[in-house]
Amino acid sequence: MTYCFYICASLCLIIFQTTIIPHIPLFNNFYDLLIPFIIYLGLFRPAREGILFILVSGFLMDNLSGGPFGLYLTTYLWLFIVVKLIIKYLHARNNILLLFIVAAGVLMENLIFIVSIFLSIPDSQFLAITIRTVIFQILWGVCTGFFLLTFFNHIHNKLQKWFNKLIDEKS
Amino acid sequence: MFSKKMVIILGAVALIVVNIIILSANSGRYSSYGSGRTVFFLIAPFQKTVTQSIQFFKKIWGHYFFLISVAKENDNLKKAISHAIDENNKYREIEISNFRLRNLLNFRKTMNSKVIVAEVIGQAPSFWFKTIIIDKGKSDGVKKGLPVVVPEGIAGQVIDVSCNYSKVLLIIDRNSAVDALVQRTRDRGLIKGQSDGRCLSKYVLRKHDIKVGDTVVSSGLDGVFPKGLRVGYISEIVKPDSGIFQEVTVTPYIDFEKLEEVLVVLDPPKHDFLSKQ
Repeated sequence: MTYCFYICASLCLIIFQTTIIPHIPLFNNFYDLLIPFIIYLGLFRPAREGILFILVSGFLMDNLSGGPFGLYLTTYLWLFIVVKLIIKYLHARNNILLLFIVAAGVLMENLIFIVSIFLSIPDSQFLAITIRTVIFQILWGVCTGFFLLTFFNHIHNKLQKWFNKLIDEKS
Repeated sequence: MFSKKMVIILGAVALIVVNIIILSANSGRYSSYGSGRTVFFLIAPFQKTVTQSIQFFKKIWGHYFFLISVAKENDNLKKAISHAIDENNKYREIEISNFRLRNLLNFRKTMNSKVIVAEVIGQAPSFWFKTIIIDKGKSDGVKKGLPVVVPEGIAGQVIDVSCNYSKVLLIIDRNSAVDALVQRTRDRGLIKGQSDGRCLSKYVLRKHDIKVGDTVVSSGLDGVFPKGLRVGYISEIVKPDSGIFQEVTVTPYIDFEKLEEVLVVLDPPKHDFLSKQ
């Protein structure tokens, strides 16, 4: 059930951000929607559950993106590891953590991308629009991250309860 | 002399006669001799109130039923309008699509190479990498490295192919490079993508007389894109104090945000130097 939810959620998020978001001008500078989901897995779910999903979604994103293959896989994996390290010191339900962790994740992804671009094209120029886009993405992360994390947690719990009830009824 | 019965009959007849005479006398004019005003004064307000009340309730009753039918009619009209708007929108979309496809078809006719029309079904999930996914793949003859064009100019190059879908690297991506020349002066440069949706023309010598607004076309020397296809126009020229090259910014004619259909050139012209390799 849990894995089914992960697969459905990741597919929905990937399809949403590659087909619908590009057509909405408001979301021109929106961040990668899989970031909050990976952070959610890191914060609230056991490591063994999340790791498989991260490998699959990273692989999918690498195939859809024009970046070097493995870039998303690396980003998601590191993001997951960092979140797991953070919750060793902070409580996963800490409101301040929930408020800023998605923004931090967005920043981390962009930094990894910048480093990767510098490695592949050393004479790359980063224009003002690039910095502005990253700032907008971070702001979007601050504004929506908390709600998305809460939403994923809520939906997952509801589905889990429903599934358990269904099993109880059958047995 | 007269019996009582006779007196009553005579009295009644006299009353009738008098009555007829009075009625006959008053038939030519109407007058209540002032009593009417008094009666009106006393009765009319009540009549008015009662009549108005009746009219009020009658209206409410009538409007209630009327409103029900009006509400139903309103609902139906709203549905009809919504349907009409939907239809209208559909026709408008078809019209726009028709125009776009005609444009594409006309462009296709001008091309000597074999081309295939593909629909854009997805865009890159990241701001950093500019790619699109199209609905044509190996089964349609698409191969890695084939050029992708639209009537406005060069769109990109196929970088990954599956059975029914392909990934196209747009010319505005940092990893993209197109060998191009300025149409007016025939000066060459290498068009590289930037993240802001524009391109840089690299290795353009300072001595070259190029101007803002000049059109840049593909040179065909990169062995990927057919010669003479539009890439964009020069939107900015910076001549640094030192160095032998000038910094030229090229803005593509294509609005990549609105790319919906593209043409994949299936048999791009091959150069001798490529076939010899």
